Amino acid sequence: MKIRTIAFLLILFGTLAVFSLTYAQNAPEASERGKEVYENSCAHCHGIEGRGDGSAAENLLPKPRDFTRGLYKIRSTEAGQLPTDQDLFDIITVGMPGSSMPEWETALSTEERWQVVAYIKTFYEGFKENENPPKQITLEGKISYAEQSVEIGKELYVELGCVECHGNVGRGDGTSAPTLTDSWGFQTWPANLTQGWNYRGGADTEDIFKRFIGGIAGSPMPAFEGDSFLNFGLTAEESKRLIELENRDEMTEAEEEESGKFYEKMDTAVDIALSIKEGAEMSAAEMQTYNDAMKVVYEKSWHLANYVKSLMPEKRPEPAIGNNVLRSQYVQGTLPAIDDAVWETFEAGYFPLVGQVVIEPRQFNPTIDGVHVKSFYSDTEVAFLFVWDDRTHTTGDEIDEATGKPLEDALAVQFPVKVPQGPTAPKPYFLGGGRLPVYLWHWKASTPEQVTELTAKGINNAEAQEAQGELQVQSTYIDGQYKLWVKRALKTEDKKDLQLEPGVFVPIAFSAWDGSNGDVDTKRTMTSWYTFTLEPVPSSRRFVYPPIIAILSVGLLFGLRAFVQRRNTEDV
Amino acid sequence: MKTYLLASFTLLLACCYVGIIGTTFAADPDAGEMEMLVFPENYKPMAVNNGGTISGVVKFEGDKPEMKVLEITKDPKVCGATEKYDESVVVGEDNALKNTIVYLIDITGGKDFDKEAKLEMDQKGCKFTPHVQIVPLETRLTMLNNDRVNHNVHIFSNINTPVNKQQTKNRRRMPLAGVKKAEGPVAVKCDIHGWMSAWIAYVPHPYFAVTNEKGEFTLEDVPAGEYKLGYWHEACGTNSEAPATVTVEAGSTVAQDFTLKLK
Ligand code: HEC
Ligand code: HEC
Repeated sequence: MKIRTIAFLLILFGTLAVFSLTYAQNAPEASERGKEVYENSCAHCHGIEGRGDGSAAENLLPKPRDFTRGLYKIRSTEAGQLPTDQDLFDIITVGMPGSSMPEWETALSTEERWQVVAYIKTFYEGFKENENPPKQITLEGKISYAEQSVEIGKELYVELGCVECHGNVGRGDGTSAPTLTDSWGFQTWPANLTQGWNYRGGADTEDIFKRFIGGIAGSPMPAFEGDSFLNFGLTAEESKRLIELENRDEMTEAEEEESGKFYEKMDTAVDIALSIKEGAEMSAAEMQTYNDAMKVVYEKSWHLANYVKSLMPEKRPEPAIGNNVLRSQYVQGTLPAIDDAVWETFEAGYFPLVGQVVIEPRQFNPTIDGVHVKSFYSDTEVAFLFVWDDRTHTTGDEIDEATGKPLEDALAVQFPVKVPQGPTAPKPYFLGGGRLPVYLWHWKASTPEQVTELTAKGINNAEAQEAQGELQVQSTYIDGQYKLWVKRALKTEDKKDLQLEPGVFVPIAFSAWDGSNGDVDTKRTMTSWYTFTLEPVPSSRRFVYPPIIAILSVGLLFGLRAFVQRRNTEDV
Repeated sequence: MKTYLLASFTLLLACCYVGIIGTTFAADPDAGEMEMLVFPENYKPMAVNNGGTISGVVKFEGDKPEMKVLEITKDPKVCGATEKYDESVVVGEDNALKNTIVYLIDITGGKDFDKEAKLEMDQKGCKFTPHVQIVPLETRLTMLNNDRVNHNVHIFSNINTPVNKQQTKNRRRMPLAGVKKAEGPVAVKCDIHGWMSAWIAYVPHPYFAVTNEKGEFTLEDVPAGEYKLGYWHEACGTNSEAPATVTVEAGSTVAQDFTLKLK
């Protein structure tokens, strides 16, 4: 069976290779050439007829796009408009992060990408019918990033209702998040705005600006057009005045009249905006009214875009390898508790997670991006802080139909029972290898103050250890983020536990489950093996303070600094 | 960045090679092909003198179904003040079926729309009222927000441009642009409050009626002649395949009742 599949695939790819060679030699029309490119590179996902139903589509979420409805997410154009050719070309070139849509910059030539643009447009009549080019969102008058702008944007984020879906600090955990479906009826999630690298259409301020003004067609994400904004048609001062008037218990006659004028002005602006949308001709005066009103809207939009931008780090953190390898920092005395501000004083090690797609049941559509880990150790103990984003707090109320097990959020941390000696020593094989056992910490959202220690010799062969209770555990779930704190003695009596000592590089790996995404058993997200080490004491000089230190309580800061200085002088 | 893409793509490819297909995702059945109204290719408004009337009652066949209470997952103060029901089948006394569209399929000339009619759809208590709204072409529909919570008005048009626009708690009235092509009924949703549901039909002529609580409908000022009379109901479907035939005589009323069952 397997051999046949492979043989089949070889033949298939072989044929494809031959075909593409032949095709390269003649030069038919752009869209006809595009058809060939499409059928070679895109159809297995997007379907021969562009319905998003290719052979690989079955397991994917979001689904490969159905091109027959003209719904495009990433556009430079206004709400309800089709994308420009350039938009299509660009998205095909760079792909859509956070989804299975690959980039095609390397695999297809520029010419081929333009050809395939021409071809996918043939799947939707609307492209032919529209004689006017789509109306683009203007990027003029950009307000550059500044703290004050971010502050204004933050208010707009709540006022406009982004918070409903994207949550208090943008982790995609808004109260509407669990019930969203896309235009094809499939479940979908609001973007986690703190993970710019997973944005489908790029996370530059301009990208963000275009996304909420134009909306994300096919998804629940609405457009925020002119009159979605408070008091559309009024200047900032007028708007302020109106709010002031509206907040009075009673208005005088003059004030009634004044507010009446404002309402009229707003009605006029809304009316003009609609007429423009309907395609009516407008007088110069009307255009002026419209442009004035939109100027205010665009200003607000830049502030909002700046705020969204402020939610994410500048770039995706580097995974915890090489220079970034996770180093547990030495502390003398008691290790910091979960809410200690000292955790904020340095960068976490970042362990990106991917869906487990090797063993049934698989997870093709992971919702957890990665785990961020920090650690301190003392002469006797080690403490870890594991932090990861999950849009929902799922504690096992629902049962998975296939396995009969509760769906709940969880995290597993794996170590070998014995640290492999030397670089060539075999690593414990994680999934079902069974050669070397792993020592496992398993935390579940339903028992948030408990971590079970297990010994596992394979994916379906994990046993809870007889001796439990060696771990101290605390955890929180706030605004779409889990924090799990685990403390253990460096050395334990239990032979099945990993024993820790400074300076040794210890393999570590993670698995995470998002219950609301159907994660259970092997359907999960996971990392490969990384390493961490208890940073030997002399090197604690390297302990650097990033600027966040400002938020530290002063006492703690001084205590810490004194401690580090003492260490350093001791070393000398 | 590229490495991540590459990694995930490799995983994807790997699974293709293994060639085993895992779980599949079932789409929401509501999202499938919806049965549609049938519109005449051309319609010419003209003066109608001494037209006739078609009226009747639409009934539901079978036991009166229990209306499902909707789960209010959000803004309970505003949305959950009164119980909300799934309105896909609303059956009243004597099995009267509300929210059925009854209309003339093949009329090509007749009265013009009532230009004075106020076209409004309310969002109150996180529920759309009415549940089924007829909207003439090129006519604005004003969405009202009486809730003081944020809604997003999501109209799932296919032929016309779909609309998905935020109506914040501060915007009491939000008129929507008129559309050019007959279509529908299309679903209306608020994604913020996922249970909110309604239908809009964009129509090219005024001979459309929606049944009331008593299942009644009336089409007035119909020029004398023979017509195909169609219906559409969200849960019971249409009779587009075999519409009723009615003969309208000047100045008189012709009755035509329907009995529908779940499809
Ligand atoms: C591995 C599967 C896969 C392949 C191969 C693939 N796509 Fe996609 N594509 C997707 C998915 C999934 C989406 C939807 C992502 C989303 O909605 O977030 C998508 C979306 C798109 C979009 C919509 C962009 C937008 O703004 O909404 C375009 C255009 C597109 N693909 C073009 C192509 C072209 C052209 C090719 C071939 C050169 C191709 N795709 C190959 C999976 C694929
Ligand atoms: C009704 C729910 C909802 C509301 C309200 C909403 N969003 Fe979204 N948003 C979404 C969903 C769902 C997605 C994911 C779209 C996709 O890729 O399918 C998203 C995606 C995004 C993205 C990522 C775009 C990308 O390239 O991947 C940004 C940025 C964004 N929203 C900003 C905002 C802002 C700013 C607001 C308020 C002005 C807002 N959203 C309001 C649901 C919402």
